Amino acid sequence: MNCEEATKLMDGYLDGELDPITSQTIEQHLRDCPNCEQKYMANRALVNAIGSAIPYYKAPAGLRERIQCSLREEIADRPARAVPRLLVTRKQPEPRTTLFGTPWNWLSLGGLGLAAAIIFAAIIFSNLAPMLRRPGADQFLATQLIASHVRSLMVNHLTDVASSDQHTVKPWLDAKLDFAPPVVDLASEGFPLIGGRLDYLDNRTVAALIYQRRKHFINVFVWPGEAAARPALAMSHQGYQLLHWADPDFNYWAVSDVSASDLQTFKQQFEAQRSHH
Amino acid sequence: MAAPLKVDYAFDTEDLESSAKIVKFAILKKHQQQDAAQEHEVASFEETMLPHMDAAHNLAKWLLRNEEDAQDVVQEAYLRAFKSFSGFHGSNGRAWLLTIVRNTSYTLLKKNRAVDLTTTFDEEIHTAGYESVSPAAILEHSENAELIKEAMDALPMEFREILALRHQEGLSYKEIAEIAQIPPGTVMSRLSRARAELKEYLAARIGKDK
Repeated sequence: MNCEEATKLMDGYLDGELDPITSQTIEQHLRDCPNCEQKYMANRALVNAIGSAIPYYKAPAGLRERIQCSLREEIADRPARAVPRLLVTRKQPEPRTTLFGTPWNWLSLGGLGLAAAIIFAAIIFSNLAPMLRRPGADQFLATQLIASHVRSLMVNHLTDVASSDQHTVKPWLDAKLDFAPPVVDLASEGFPLIGGRLDYLDNRTVAALIYQRRKHFINVFVWPGEAAARPALAMSHQGYQLLHWADPDFNYWAVSDVSASDLQTFKQQFEAQRSHH
Repeated sequence: MAAPLKVDYAFDTEDLESSAKIVKFAILKKHQQQDAAQEHEVASFEETMLPHMDAAHNLAKWLLRNEEDAQDVVQEAYLRAFKSFSGFHGSNGRAWLLTIVRNTSYTLLKKNRAVDLTTTFDEEIHTAGYESVSPAAILEHSENAELIKEAMDALPMEFREILALRHQEGLSYKEIAEIAQIPPGTVMSRLSRARAELKEYLAARIGKDK
């Protein structure tokens, strides 16, 4: 064996992947050739050092639950299991949340949602601390708003009327409320309407509109505003966003885990569409 | 006017525990609606495959270089694996799962038209005077994880793949050949080139910083 052949086989030798006879031939060559031997020793040390220094990306917390949820959804969705599937998806609004074409049911969303809601509530409480020290209505409202958001993320609580059609959602809400909340179609702006819901905030029944941004939901709470519109207020912490604005007629609170810029875009599109009508 | 606030209720340990119980109860109830056989199928799949979740995530992350995509791919790969689990009779669950993770990653990259199978090496770094950098000097820097990561990320996908499989999973050439879908004889030469390029990148970086 010459040096060129030995160099070619060096990685296989280093990895212990050569057949015994070739291995012995290389060993013999390394004994005979100090140059190759030195090269081999240096290379082995280096390869081992670099190899063990490559960062290992462990699975993040939550991925296991995500996988387990999708497996159970897969089972529940099998055609042969029509009964459990019906039980699970009966109240599901259109369109269904999909990831790689895999339907998520509200149970899995509910589980994630609940976890998110608890984190969210904790964040909001720490974030709102300065605000909570302000006296009166704001303080009470913030508490209620958080509670509503937490409830909405629980199983089957997201929508009372599930429709992507504003002309279905709006009349439904109008009939249930003593005011007519603006419902706009933002599907072409990337915020499809999911549905509407009645909620209770600030000692009154309010409208909750649910929009979707990719895999995320945006809850918009709407109720008639006070005479003096207050300035917009944005809060964010660790990816969770809370945005408040008002126009002469209504108060709005948007709550979501989309990015701050996405939520700002949403607000702008919402206002633009609203002024259209 | 407002009732005194109990601001800390969300931090109440008992509250969190009971919430968790509600979720567990809801999942449990759903299970009861399913066939025992189906539940057994999921359980047996999870027992075999979930231990390899870190390996799956690590490979996907190196292939895609993006955390969100990596997680999506791992979830999708598990779903694909589950659907064909009845056809899996081997003993090497990890290699089987990694094959699916690898294929799913390539599918996603093709879909995104971002396949970087060809060598995209930084010419400037590549040709900078690394000749003067000794293996000993590179060895000194080999504990710099940030530098190693940067070097890895600069390599073509097929090299990142083979280095992760060999050095992080410690797989044999035969297993690597099956996962990367290349002839067994190609594994050694590809690994050799991957290591050489990694070393060259490191040498170039170290030489540049000097």
